[in-house]
Amino acid sequence: MSEDPRDDPRWEQVRAAASRPVPTPPGLVERVLRSVNGVRGKHPIAPLDLPSAGGKTQVSERALVLMTRKLAAEIGRDLGGVHVSAVALEGEVVQVLVTIRFGVEAALADVLRRRLGAALTGQLGSAPPAINVHVVDVHPD
Amino acid sequence: MNEAVPVPDEELVARAAAGDHGAFDTLVRRHTARMYRVALRITGSASEAEDVVQEAWLSAWRALPRFRYESAVSTWLYRVTTNGALGQVRRRKPTVPLDEGDAGVVPGPEGQVVSAEQVGAVLRAIAELDVGQRIPLILREFEGMTYDEVAEVLEVSVPALRARLHRARVALLAKLGDNFRPGER
Repeated sequence: MSEDPRDDPRWEQVRAAASRPVPTPPGLVERVLRSVNGVRGKHPIAPLDLPSAGGKTQVSERALVLMTRKLAAEIGRDLGGVHVSAVALEGEVVQVLVTIRFGVEAALADVLRRRLGAALTGQLGSAPPAINVHVVDVHPD
Repeated sequence: MNEAVPVPDEELVARAAAGDHGAFDTLVRRHTARMYRVALRITGSASEAEDVVQEAWLSAWRALPRFRYESAVSTWLYRVTTNGALGQVRRRKPTVPLDEGDAGVVPGPEGQVVSAEQVGAVLRAIAELDVGQRIPLILREFEGMTYDEVAEVLEVSVPALRARLHRARVALLAKLGDNFRPGER
C-alpha cells in the first residue's frame, strides 16, 4: 500500500462513489417547512388551557408541538419503521404526519396515536388535545 | 424571497432571529439538499436521514437567538446535521446496512467505467467504518469540504483531523481489499 491511500488505484472507486449524485427526496423541503411552521405555531407564546383535576394546565403551542414531536419520534423508533414528518396544532387538534417503511402495517399509526396520547398525558399531567396521525408516505428502507 | 441576488447566510440568520420567517425558509431551501446528503451518507438510510434533517432544522430554528457568527452558517448547519446523524446511528437498535438502493444514489456519467456494484461496495465499506472515521471521510472525500471546514464542523484541530482521515482512508482501503483488485472493471 502506498503511503497516501489516495494514491492507491482502488481509490478511484471511492472517487467514483463520491461523484454519484444523491437526489433529494421529493417534497423533503416542503415537509421540513411544514415542521418548522408547526413549531412556530400561529400563537407560539399564547398558552393553551388543558383541563386537569382541580384546575388547568397551561402550555404554549410551541412547547406542545415540540413535546409531541419528540415523543412521537421516540415511539416511532420503538415501533420500528415509523418516522415523524411533521407535527402541527390545527384548530384544537394535534396533527402528526408520519412516513412508514414499506411492509410496515399502517395500523401501527393507530398504535402510535394511542401511545402518544398516553405519553403526552403523562408529560402534561392532563389530557392533551385530540391527536390525528396521518400516514403521508412510504419509504423503501 | 427572491434568490436572484443571493442574500448571505449570515444576514438570513440575523433576519430569521428577528422573526422573519421567510428568511429562515430561504435557509431551509438553500441547505436542505446538502444536509440530507450528509445525513444519508452517515446513516445509510433514507428515512433516518430525513429524520436527521427534520430534527436538525428544528434545532437550528430554536438555536437562532444563540448563533454567535463565530463560524459560517453552513458549518453550523453541518455540525447540527452531523451530530444528529451520529446520535441516530448510536440509537439504532439493529444495524442498518447501507445499500445503494436505499441510499438513493443514482448512476453518474462515469457509470460505464465503475459498476454500480463497485460503488455499492464502497458505500457499504464506508458504512462499516467506525463513525469516528466515517464522518470525517464523508465530509472530506464525499462533500469536498476543506480540512479547515471539516475540522470546524467536528471541533477538532486540523492535525488531529488529518491523522484521523489517514486512518479512515487506510481502513477503507483494507475493507475494499476483499472486494477489489486494481484495474478491476
